[in-house]
Amino acid sequence: MSLYFFYISNFLLLLCLTASLLQSSKIINNKIFTRPGLIALAYVQLISILLSFLILIYLFLISDFNFDLVYFNSHSEKPLIYKFSGVWGNHEGSMLLWILILVLFNFLFALSRRISERFKEITVAIQSIMIFGFVAFLFFLSNPFVLNQNNFFDGIGLNPILQDPLLAIHPPVLYVGYVGFSLVFSLAIAGLITKEVDQQWASIVKPWVFSAWAFLTAGIALGSFWAYYELGWGGYWFWDPVENASLMPWIAATALIHCVLILQKRNVMQSWTIILSILTFSLSLVGTFLVRSGILNSVHTFASDPGRGLFILLFIFLILVSSFSLFAYNSEKINKTSSMGLISRGTGIQVNNWLLITILTIVFLGTMYPLATDLLLNKSLTVGPKYYSTTIAPIIILSLFFMFISPRLGWADTKLYKIIIQLRYLIITSLTITLIISLYFELFNLTEILIIFFSLLLIISSMTASVNFNKQNILVRTNLGQNLAHAGFGILMMAVVSNAVYSEERIYNAKVGDNLQLQKYIFSFDKIEQVEESNYNSLKAYFLMKKDGKLIDTFTPEIRFYSNPPTITSEASILHKFFSDIYLVMNVPQDQQSISVRMHIKPFMTILWLGTLMIIIGGIISASIRIGRLNEK
Amino acid sequence: MSSLVKSRLIKFLLSLIIVSIAVLIIIFNLRDNIIYFYGPTELLKNSDKQGQIMRLGGLVSVDSFQNETDSVFYFSITDGKNEIDVKYEGILPNLFAEDKGVVVEGVYMNDGRFIANKVLAKHDENYMPPEVIETLKKSGKWQGE
Repeated sequence: MSLYFFYISNFLLLLCLTASLLQSSKIINNKIFTRPGLIALAYVQLISILLSFLILIYLFLISDFNFDLVYFNSHSEKPLIYKFSGVWGNHEGSMLLWILILVLFNFLFALSRRISERFKEITVAIQSIMIFGFVAFLFFLSNPFVLNQNNFFDGIGLNPILQDPLLAIHPPVLYVGYVGFSLVFSLAIAGLITKEVDQQWASIVKPWVFSAWAFLTAGIALGSFWAYYELGWGGYWFWDPVENASLMPWIAATALIHCVLILQKRNVMQSWTIILSILTFSLSLVGTFLVRSGILNSVHTFASDPGRGLFILLFIFLILVSSFSLFAYNSEKINKTSSMGLISRGTGIQVNNWLLITILTIVFLGTMYPLATDLLLNKSLTVGPKYYSTTIAPIIILSLFFMFISPRLGWADTKLYKIIIQLRYLIITSLTITLIISLYFELFNLTEILIIFFSLLLIISSMTASVNFNKQNILVRTNLGQNLAHAGFGILMMAVVSNAVYSEERIYNAKVGDNLQLQKYIFSFDKIEQVEESNYNSLKAYFLMKKDGKLIDTFTPEIRFYSNPPTITSEASILHKFFSDIYLVMNVPQDQQSISVRMHIKPFMTILWLGTLMIIIGGIISASIRIGRLNEK
Repeated sequence: MSSLVKSRLIKFLLSLIIVSIAVLIIIFNLRDNIIYFYGPTELLKNSDKQGQIMRLGGLVSVDSFQNETDSVFYFSITDGKNEIDVKYEGILPNLFAEDKGVVVEGVYMNDGRFIANKVLAKHDENYMPPEVIETLKKSGKWQGE
């Protein structure tokens, strides 16, 4: 039986390879190459990869240990959902998932309408060149369908830290984001080839770039949420190389979506939009594969293999060189003379673009500097998280200001003082609230106060702008997506700052019967018990949380002992309240009679996730409004 | 000057100022926040590094672990050639044990002791931090492949 699956799946991969080759030849405008049906071939590409992916899922579900991949990454006693998510908890499987999404985007674009045939052919051809490259890489260098000769009775198992429902959906969501930018990249190259990077091009790109961006945001947020409760450090962002690797394409993409908007409305900034498209996709590749290559040393690196890193670096290098040479050759032809007022919405967006690129540079330097010293000087070092927070904070203040003011400016030259007078009530309100906050909470750090002030301005102005009545008191259509996302960003920044300032931590060594205190709460250590689950044993402690003698909640932090493979994890117990999270995690050091308990109060965590959710929904709304107000002046 | 040229010039100068300020801030901040990693032998050679925040890695020496109270611990970190005594106050990770790899973050004091404020934890029992492997390789004590 295994042998059949082996032949079928490898045949399917070769089939996709052939179809992609035919599809990519359409880049040459010649009847011989363009004749085979674009949509028919896209179907073949999709179905072949989809079937092989389904086969891989099936092999994991039935635990067919004749396949190397299943043997190394699964175990018969694992719960069903983790057999399923184990499919992409490893290098080969996640590559196949990556390719599946690549093919899916290709297919969806091939079906889209109202796009000139030639432009569509070129885009699909470029997309197919990438499909060809990655399927070839999968087939020859990291084939998921490899049989072994031994009859293994059971598998080695999935890293327990990955056995988590959130981590089952985190990679697919993140990948949809990353891979979505492959299509944006293909569209950019197609635009360069046809020399048509204009308003029409921007309207074609807009839904794709916004949905990819929304998915990437969601993917990063899921990863961050997972780290928050699974890694047991009470933090949600560690400026870890792998996290940075996913943040970098996000920053570039954020700049890109704004450029696409300006291009659509004003037909300016063609070159810059193309550069950002190429940059975003290259960073997405770095994000996916540097993580898997083992070059980055991090808590998130699980499936690593340095040998394959070389292929990816080579691939990224090829993409950069070929696309930028094409760009250098054709960029003069796509640029139109720009006409924008000096103090206008366009300028504001441009300034924010610069600020985003600065943040990108900061993150890039901080992430790459240790790599460079390690490779060149053979010296190990780490860049402390303070580097990022202190360097990025002032830029965030400027960004928040321009996010607030730019939507208020017109596209033509506007008088700044008139706008400020117009917004005087808003500014006074925010100023008052900031003053109250800073006095009440004794907050006197200038950076923090400024971030809170500008965040408030942004939140209030975005929210009032999204509910807009005209002179007849009728609700007029507003740019809901933009306002929601901007308000969400303001909320996120406020939550980040307040969380950093007001987090509290207490460490206790506790025996059963002890009463521990954290602010106004008392935690009674009730009991500790051993629990046996199907794939792990656990030590579970019970803490009763009381306030003024009244029982509020029970906390059950755990330590889990997995045997396949042998690993110990600490599971935090978290109470989510609207204004703050209470977070308990325990450790059992060797040779000790008591357990160590770490208790955190993490203010504004719920609000922080809420802000992020608003950004994601804003992105989805902007993606689904297909044709913006093209003729608005 | 036409208004177009003027507006472009202003934009260009503005961006130039922003970029140079940004680059300066970045470089200064990066320099201030670098945390170097040393093995015990390396650290003894660089005794001028006292008082800086750094990371120290190696194996926890056999029979060196003592606890003063429930949350103050003493142990030594070795690379097989040299040892450095470490004092740590806080929570030890689940997998902390003698003769296992460890990385601590803290300050190297004038009296040659290392005051750690963080013990970096990993979840896998067989995991060895790459820096520790490198340290053991340098001192010739690495026995893995």
